[in-house]
Amino acid sequence: MKVRCISLITGGAWLLFTLPALHAQAYRAPRGADGHADLSGIWQPLNTANWDLADHSPQAGPMWQTGAIGAEPAGQSVVEGGAIPYLPAALEEKKNNFASRRTNDPEAKCYMPGIPRANYMPYPFQIVQSPRGILFVYEYASANRLINMGKPVEPVSDTWMGTSNGHWEGDTLVIDVTGFNGLAWLDRAGDFASDKLHVVERFTRTDRDHLQYEATIEDPSVFSRPWKISMPLYRRVEKDAQLLEFKCVEFAEELLYGEYKKK
Amino acid sequence: MKTLAKENCPLLPGCKSVCVAVLCAVAAGALFAQTKTPAKTWTSPKTAWGDPDLQGIWTSDNSFGVPFERPRAYGNRKSLTDEEFAEREKENKLLASSIEAGVTPKAGYWLQHEGVDYQPYSASWSEFAHQTSRQTSLIVDPEDGRLPALTPQGMMLRMAAIAAARKKPRPESWEDVNMFGRCITRGVLGSMLPVMYGNGTDILQSPGLVVIRYEMIHEARIVPIDPHDHPHPHLPAGARTYMGDPRGHWEGSTLVVETTNFIGGRVGIGPDGAGVKYSEDLRLVERFTRMSDLSIQYEVAVSDPKTFTASWTVAFPITEEPGYQIYEYACHEGNYAMADILSGARAEETKEGVQPAAK
Repeated sequence: MKVRCISLITGGAWLLFTLPALHAQAYRAPRGADGHADLSGIWQPLNTANWDLADHSPQAGPMWQTGAIGAEPAGQSVVEGGAIPYLPAALEEKKNNFASRRTNDPEAKCYMPGIPRANYMPYPFQIVQSPRGILFVYEYASANRLINMGKPVEPVSDTWMGTSNGHWEGDTLVIDVTGFNGLAWLDRAGDFASDKLHVVERFTRTDRDHLQYEATIEDPSVFSRPWKISMPLYRRVEKDAQLLEFKCVEFAEELLYGEYKKK
Repeated sequence: MKTLAKENCPLLPGCKSVCVAVLCAVAAGALFAQTKTPAKTWTSPKTAWGDPDLQGIWTSDNSFGVPFERPRAYGNRKSLTDEEFAEREKENKLLASSIEAGVTPKAGYWLQHEGVDYQPYSASWSEFAHQTSRQTSLIVDPEDGRLPALTPQGMMLRMAAIAAARKKPRPESWEDVNMFGRCITRGVLGSMLPVMYGNGTDILQSPGLVVIRYEMIHEARIVPIDPHDHPHPHLPAGARTYMGDPRGHWEGSTLVVETTNFIGGRVGIGPDGAGVKYSEDLRLVERFTRMSDLSIQYEVAVSDPKTFTASWTVAFPITEEPGYQIYEYACHEGNYAMADILSGARAEETKEGVQPAAK
């Protein structure tokens, strides 16, 4: 009897130790209709990467007239391994961008945000996995992009949202994006890239309500080496969550064309 | 039915009985088929999860040139006569051959703008019908193929808009340019009706969802699919969008999409969002039915009791055309025309010594 009790206790202890480890080992996402990990749903970042990819303290925004509402909150860097590795001339351009951001940030003009910025704008986006490819629909500015999941295609022209070719590596969706027009910024702090930009993204579902998003950014005319950002994305879990519209052109027209208005 | 001799059996020895059985089955099948229908009937494709498959890149190009409202001369006639069809086909072919040769066509839109010094659009961007349509109009109901009369309120708003526009010989600001010219939206119907370019509609499906994505202005409508008797409720009345709030269900192999919650009073109901502006009470019921591998019949019932005295219906096919692709249409980002239109207007005013706008 004593022996059995001991084995029960040790057996139980073993289970207590290993079960959590087994659970943490690998979350296996449910399968989508395409047989791959199901990444579908409405997702949104919960950080301040869109203000500034690097570490940032709270500071005044570009317009004092909006008081604390327009001010920049504090945030931790999403850049792995330190500062963004600008080439010297490019760093000057980033500083000029920052100084002129109120009027020159493409976000202020309601221009399409490009990749990777579309994925960390403070608006939800929806992933739809279909046999024709994986569609990302962004609430901001009605932007969207269709990820080609077949044989990779070359960009037919330079675009704001780039040309996305995707494939699966296990349960991670890997997207290779090229064909940018070099006009989008990477955040509100003036971080930018040229039309040589090449982004490789990785989306991995880590549990029911989170995706891990990573993007490697490469542009030999702006940066001295490739660099990487990473962040979690959070599912919008409200019962009737749906994308609405943020058609911001109307809010940008005064900024863009005010000087041509009849006085 | 011919009996197969042992020496003629293509299979291994000892399988003669199988051969005979197979041949019998084939022959019986052929006889059976002959007594029913000779040809194989087309069946509507299904997605892997069993929904009707509407996926693909579709275009309304083949209806380009068909009038939105039926010219009165046609009366209640829905189809062109053979003569009229031949005329339209001739014009389509002239348009097509000119565009393909890189020459400014002498047909349609181009004729209306002949003599204008500056041709705004290269003929190489132009889209055109590959197959000529027989329809006398895109509006198929009411019987006369024309928009029903406006309500008194609708008429009042329309007259007021026309009067206000007349007072302004030139646009004073972007608000005097239409919603498409501002690159905001063409509305749902305006995004489906054929115009001279950008007529692409991309349909994608996943379990429980259909996404309808337009080339112009790159909007994507995400339509949740529910059982017809258990629809997902629409957004509350206070939440409104330019493309409305769609809800879908299947009726046999037809996708039915019901859309409400539109922002009213801003966008017109015609091609490119021109024409009579609809109110926030607009309700659209669209039907998408796959008719063949290469075509979907598109139908939309328009109801806006604040604006029109009756509902009306538009119908035309959207088709797959070889090589037709959808490209990024960066409307707003490339809207140099807005700055040009407004700065040009101000320059003309300065030249004419025009007084500043009254406050």
